[in-house]
Amino acid sequence: MSFAERMLKIDRRIIFLVIGFCTLLPLLYPVGLPIKISPEVRGVYDYIESLPEGSVFLLSLDFDPASKPELHPQAISLLRHAFRKNLRVIAMTLWVSGTGMADQVVTQVAREMGKESGKDYVFLGWSPGGTAVIINMGQDLYGAFPADYNGKPTKGLPVLQGIASLRDVSYAVSLGAGNPGVEAWYVFGKDKYKFELAGGCTGVMAPGLYPLLRSGQINGLIGGLRGAAEYETLIGQKGKAIAGMDAQSATHLAIIVLVIICNLFYFSLRKQATQQGHSGA
Amino acid sequence: MIFLRRQVPLLITLITGIVFAAQYYVPHPASEQMLTSVTKWLQIIGGFALVLGVSSLFHVHAIKIRRKEAGWGYSFVLYVSMLGTIAVGLWSNGKEAVDGTMTAFGWIYNFMMVPLQGTMFAILAFFIASAAYRSFRARSREAAVLLIAAVIVMMGRVPLGEYLIPLSGDLSQWILNVLNASVRRAILIGVSLGTVALSIKIIFGMERSYLGGGKE
Repeated sequence: MSFAERMLKIDRRIIFLVIGFCTLLPLLYPVGLPIKISPEVRGVYDYIESLPEGSVFLLSLDFDPASKPELHPQAISLLRHAFRKNLRVIAMTLWVSGTGMADQVVTQVAREMGKESGKDYVFLGWSPGGTAVIINMGQDLYGAFPADYNGKPTKGLPVLQGIASLRDVSYAVSLGAGNPGVEAWYVFGKDKYKFELAGGCTGVMAPGLYPLLRSGQINGLIGGLRGAAEYETLIGQKGKAIAGMDAQSATHLAIIVLVIICNLFYFSLRKQATQQGHSGA
Repeated sequence: MIFLRRQVPLLITLITGIVFAAQYYVPHPASEQMLTSVTKWLQIIGGFALVLGVSSLFHVHAIKIRRKEAGWGYSFVLYVSMLGTIAVGLWSNGKEAVDGTMTAFGWIYNFMMVPLQGTMFAILAFFIASAAYRSFRARSREAAVLLIAAVIVMMGRVPLGEYLIPLSGDLSQWILNVLNASVRRAILIGVSLGTVALSIKIIFGMERSYLGGGKE
């Protein structure tokens, strides 16, 4: 077996080790390279900036713990921004397995920003029905969520004063890791109830949402850890996303180098085979 | 019986399909009220679907354990963890925290479910790297184009890539915004047209597989 053949059949544990080091070392010794802001992330930031105080901001945390590393920093940044702008925040989730996590992040950021539940924000929790919940909220918010996550009746909460349905929402952002997520909020929510919408998603999902962005169906998109890092940069509060960008940079570079090496060996083998074929003939 | 099993569901599908397709274009309060009521039914049905899903899962794994099929041990672990979580969840009234204090249910969620799901997703990075090394080869012209596009997007999406090759950021944006968006849109339009065609077939009873394959 030639060297190239041996290298192409390298033990995958070596690759695992390389990726492990590329993730770990930048986390221990961060470099802090500058992060360029993309127009899609700026779109979300600018729209929230343009909202007057007291506007209604709906954040739907449609993900479970599997997507926490990418979407949790997005949620923290968006909530910090919304609370800083004194917007009325309605948080909820369409994913039952993400309810506890969503409650924790909303409560944690609200406490950090000195906001009060029921007055400045409300966490509605989860309700069964998936996309039907969106339509139900569009028809009657109190019918979809008669009580908040803590069991308080939603009718009469100061934060929901003057809000009857999704039509009264100024801006909605869905942080989705699948279905129901950003697309469902557009199809069943924005299209009928006419509120402005943006999305946040995992890195692998982002390319699939670009058609919605380009057609103006969503006015911004926060894609993956990179998007979260851009948002953290925009609001000027460094968090887990910026800290993780060095690790992501290193792993991306490692994968690129691995792919190049594998192709070099592959072509050298192909050349060898062609030469042997010629000499055999 | 055939009437109840075949004709009635077909009739319900036909009427509700036409009524709710038309409802979207009728903003009259009565029409909106009808939609409100139906979405409430949907939410209730959604709740029952959850119960149905859990009971089905129990049933499938109970058979595996009873017959001692390959991997029945995993089914047993599933049974124990599910019953344990349900019991603790009911005991904690379904709350992860009460007045800032973590409940037993919250402990299971935070220290078992969150790390387990996070780990499952995180190990993907290792497998993707290994798979990329083994299979991402420029075997043909198409594969070479795909490879180059992937490398550009991977470079352009991280600060180090933009630092090493400043043009990679703009190039990656162009690939995502122009090439990717147009192809995705074409797929979306195709899928949507297919969905419309299938819906029409279901509403008018031409597609009946959803009725199941029971005896006539």
